[in-house]
Amino acid sequence: MLPVSAVCGGIYRAAIRTLRTRNPPLCRRLSSGDGVLAGLADADTIFALSSGHGRCGVAVVRISGPAATTALRCMVGLRKHLPPPRTALLRSITDPHSKEVLDRGLVLWFPAPHSFTGEDSVEFHIHGGPAVITAVLQALGSVPGMRPAEAGEFTRRAFHAGKLDLTEVEGLGDLIHAETEAQRRQALRQMSGDLGRLYQDWSHRLKRCLAHVEAFIDFSEDELIEDGVLDRVDISVCDLQAEINQHLKDERRGERLRSGVHVVIAGATNAGKSSLLNTLCQRPAAIVSPIAGTTRDVVETALDIGGFPVLLSDTAGLRDSPDLVEQEGVRRARERVQQADLTLVVVDSTILPSEVQRAAAVLLKHLESVLTSQEQPEAGRCLLVLNKTDLLPEAQREQLSLGLRGTSGLPPVCLISCQTSEGLKDFLTVLQSTVQTMCADPLSGAPTLTQARHRAHLQQCAAALAQYWRYRDSDLALAAEGVRLALTGLGRITGRVGAEEILDIIFKDFCIGK
Amino acid sequence: MSRMLTRKLLPVRNILPPVTKRTSHVHRQRYDVIVVGGGHAGTEAAAAAARVGAETLLVTQKTHTIGALSCNPSLGGVGKGHLVREIDALDGLCGRAGDWAGIHFSILNRRKGPAVWGPRAQLDRQRYREFIQAELLSTPRLEVLEGSVEELLVTDPNPEEPGRHRVTGIRLANGSRSISASSVVLTTGTFLSGSLFVGHTVSPGGRIGDAPSSSGLSQTLRERLGLRVGRLRTGTPPRVLKDSVDLSLAKLHPPDSHPTPFSFMNTRTRCKPEEQLPCYLTYTTPGVERVVRESLHLNCHIQQDAKGPRYCPSIESRVLRFPGRRHQVWLEPEGMTSDLLYPQGLSMTMPPDVQLRLIREIPAMHRAEIHTPGYGVQYDYVCPTQLSPALQVKNTQGLFLAGQINGTTGYEEAAAQGLWAGVNAARWARSLPPAVLSRTESYIGVLIDDLVSRGVNEPYRMFTSRAEFRTSLRPDNADLRLTLKGSLLGCVSSARRDEFLRVKLRLQDAEAALRALTLSPAGWRKMMPGISVSESKNGSLSGMDLLQYKDVSFEMLASLFPEQLSPHMEFSERLKIEAVYKPHCDLSKREVERIQKEENMSLPQDLDYFSLPVSLSKEVREILDRFRPSTLGAATRLEGMTPAAVVNLLNYVQIAERKERMMNRSNAGHQEGRGDDLCARNASLPQ
Repeated sequence: MLPVSAVCGGIYRAAIRTLRTRNPPLCRRLSSGDGVLAGLADADTIFALSSGHGRCGVAVVRISGPAATTALRCMVGLRKHLPPPRTALLRSITDPHSKEVLDRGLVLWFPAPHSFTGEDSVEFHIHGGPAVITAVLQALGSVPGMRPAEAGEFTRRAFHAGKLDLTEVEGLGDLIHAETEAQRRQALRQMSGDLGRLYQDWSHRLKRCLAHVEAFIDFSEDELIEDGVLDRVDISVCDLQAEINQHLKDERRGERLRSGVHVVIAGATNAGKSSLLNTLCQRPAAIVSPIAGTTRDVVETALDIGGFPVLLSDTAGLRDSPDLVEQEGVRRARERVQQADLTLVVVDSTILPSEVQRAAAVLLKHLESVLTSQEQPEAGRCLLVLNKTDLLPEAQREQLSLGLRGTSGLPPVCLISCQTSEGLKDFLTVLQSTVQTMCADPLSGAPTLTQARHRAHLQQCAAALAQYWRYRDSDLALAAEGVRLALTGLGRITGRVGAEEILDIIFKDFCIGK
Repeated sequence: MSRMLTRKLLPVRNILPPVTKRTSHVHRQRYDVIVVGGGHAGTEAAAAAARVGAETLLVTQKTHTIGALSCNPSLGGVGKGHLVREIDALDGLCGRAGDWAGIHFSILNRRKGPAVWGPRAQLDRQRYREFIQAELLSTPRLEVLEGSVEELLVTDPNPEEPGRHRVTGIRLANGSRSISASSVVLTTGTFLSGSLFVGHTVSPGGRIGDAPSSSGLSQTLRERLGLRVGRLRTGTPPRVLKDSVDLSLAKLHPPDSHPTPFSFMNTRTRCKPEEQLPCYLTYTTPGVERVVRESLHLNCHIQQDAKGPRYCPSIESRVLRFPGRRHQVWLEPEGMTSDLLYPQGLSMTMPPDVQLRLIREIPAMHRAEIHTPGYGVQYDYVCPTQLSPALQVKNTQGLFLAGQINGTTGYEEAAAQGLWAGVNAARWARSLPPAVLSRTESYIGVLIDDLVSRGVNEPYRMFTSRAEFRTSLRPDNADLRLTLKGSLLGCVSSARRDEFLRVKLRLQDAEAALRALTLSPAGWRKMMPGISVSESKNGSLSGMDLLQYKDVSFEMLASLFPEQLSPHMEFSERLKIEAVYKPHCDLSKREVERIQKEENMSLPQDLDYFSLPVSLSKEVREILDRFRPSTLGAATRLEGMTPAAVVNLLNYVQIAERKERMMNRSNAGHQEGRGDDLCARNASLPQ
């Protein structure tokens, strides 16, 4: 696990623990097991940050629906007695699974019908930092029966309950429109690139799984659906579960929307700077080619690294060039490096001498030329990234990684290969802890709201897939229901999937005889 | 129970009752409801309207073909079986007719979970027709008239109700006689501008051997009422002489050893288990594909562009779409004593001599003789988005449509619509508000909602995957879902209502008995070694909880607690199913409630969406105008609707309702609300 701040680390650990307990290993062990439902309830309790999204001292998280009391019981330690209605209590808010304290804040309990939505409601008034907000939202997402609210859903419920006055009602459509649009834009931004493709790919595969199970249910017996269909679904569901769980564990998150820590990638031409950028943000933000000098201007991307907002810039390779455009690119690159909170100096490891001492000397010299204006690379302001390690002989790699570590004058060194992703995990660990120390003020940057939503939906999806295994051999209708619920969860990210779409796949893939 | 069975089956036990009401002239000048068509939709519609209390007239070309199975000799299946159970729960005919006429019963999907079990039967065509005819001809308030309908009588609308026209009756073809009625249900099947296709020959008609219906009806719908009409196609296979088929070359497919009846009122079927007939399975060969390809130029049906179903496709489209494969062909009996076989999967429209060549490419049929060649049908359907959820044409008061005319395929789909259209036609005639079935409570509701709010672009068939609440809409609980509702509407006989109440009470007792049995997990493990009650569970578990476990049956619990449970053995299967599914159904409960709430908010049918003073985008206005959803729930399900648009509509509806309430309040004193006393009035309707 990554050594992030105690709060965040706790959340990640808790989330993973939750996943472990809720998603059985990918075997059918549970299919004959307890007939009792696990916590993948898609019942309708919603939560959301209802204070502003910007920098703020206090954030209000609202929960509404029948499971609101569950949140009180398992996150505020009010096991036996609910608090007096509409009275503020100062309480520690804890993770429901790890029991770790996330924040200390005010808790208010509004029993139905005397609440904004007319339903049982709870409010947490917590500190406004993105890490705290993210932690609380993610903890709520892991409570059975809870999901992030859709755009305008609170207001809509209030409306249904007759809690809004006429002027409020009139503005409701616009409000929902604005919220939907903002969410859509945000989701769109997040959905472009590898992450979006990943979700779309999952959705597509899940649709096929469901279509094939449905075909098997609606047609197989006296029609020509081959017996192997379900076996293929088994494999698909298994893969999907593994991938989604892996993704949920993955610390590299999607791109951030606003600025945070400024991180600049710099180095000589063709060292793989743009490849590193693309790897970090999981989408081709920059053009990558084997031709030196491909990147000529600064390419900027917002990223979230371990819960911290990062603005990552890729720059032109530093070299003397007769090309005027490229000269300008190099000038800008140097400018960026000067302004950077953190510089990632990328070096093509294949150009290093094989002997460690000489390699260290080359690197020191190189650092000087890159970080010209900085007198001495300040501790923690620079990371040295040795790329293309896949092209090095095994022994040399070992030597470099061990030998360079202790060399005085050198910043932390990471050996990676953007090509094979080797060493990437260690690099991210180092990068994240550096970014974290840099964020002396945890209130900088933006909350990871979209991600919290995505995460909750993905968790729902993964949990629902477990239902497939639970009933795979005893009741295919209930197994299919699991896949359906999973698709509903994912559909909240990628768009709703209707029955017709499933039938279309069925008729494309099978010759139905009756 | 067996007493019940005898009572229900008695009327047709020996011989058909005297056919006093089969007439060429009618007794009345005026009826509450006229049903046009005697197929699955028409018979259910007429019977339902009469049950609800309407004086009903069924007009059909030939009384002899009432209840005829035009295509396959079978009923039910996955999804379709669900419909049959629901029709039966509302006291429709087809379930009981299936139990009477079935000669091969099986539950499809037996291994896949009770929510998707598909009760199905092969039928004896003769017996099915007999039952339906006997049942109709002995239904009080129902008369049957042989005749052809020339046109609908249409007049100005009742200004107090939405709509541009009002139907007042029908005019018959022979002698131009008119009969008036408050409601008319059209169930014309494939006869609306129907054409039959065999090879290059095209002839007017809806079924081989029957006269085509008059073009006047189609004209009224199109020109007088301005309804949008589309064209669909279907087909049927040749019938083959049983003696000429070498069944030893096909795989025997036996029925279930214990036939399960369709009807909640029957505990056994007319056909004894050992009397059942088998089906046979065989496959197409490369020769079949060759014949299809060679004869394409002779096949004018397959070249037309009217839309055929992707399921139940003709053999031509099967081999063209999936070449190089072998396709299944089922050889099904046509009746107990019939000397014909029905080759399911070989629907074809090529010239008869080519049909013979084709089937002889299949080993089991290498010497087969064709009794009647297969043929294709193309027919008009009315785009069903023009209907309300009561299956009434939105712009024409009193006109109801059901069956293939709405773009569906299949007996069960037709029967389901027929029943519901019949109930509503009778309600219209008696000035009662329309009755609606929700998609949250029944497959019939799913069917109707899909039709009227989404429309069709190919013949619509029911699949279980269309029902989003599949885990609660099961064949086993159709009675619990619908019979009481049917009883309040007056379309359920007192015998069925009494039986239903008995079952419901007994089920409640049994569940209570199960819940009263509580033990600790350790206690259960001791009583039932080998049961995987997890060690870590704490608290106590009830018998109902235990039943959720895969390897626990009601019988096992009953043997442990004979005193408490043995009185409930009758319901062992239902209790087991309920125990397993209840937690899943509970999960979707809130979603169901939300949908029902939105479905209760109706949108006026004459709304001018383009001028509505509500913030809606142009696209959304166009969508709403095209589909004219009847309720907010239906609007929500339209493609292209945005959450903001839904809220704005909701807002509008509520304000409109508030205004109406205020107006009503000012009128109070001399008029009671129409909906409030609905139940009381229905309960007192004649049974």
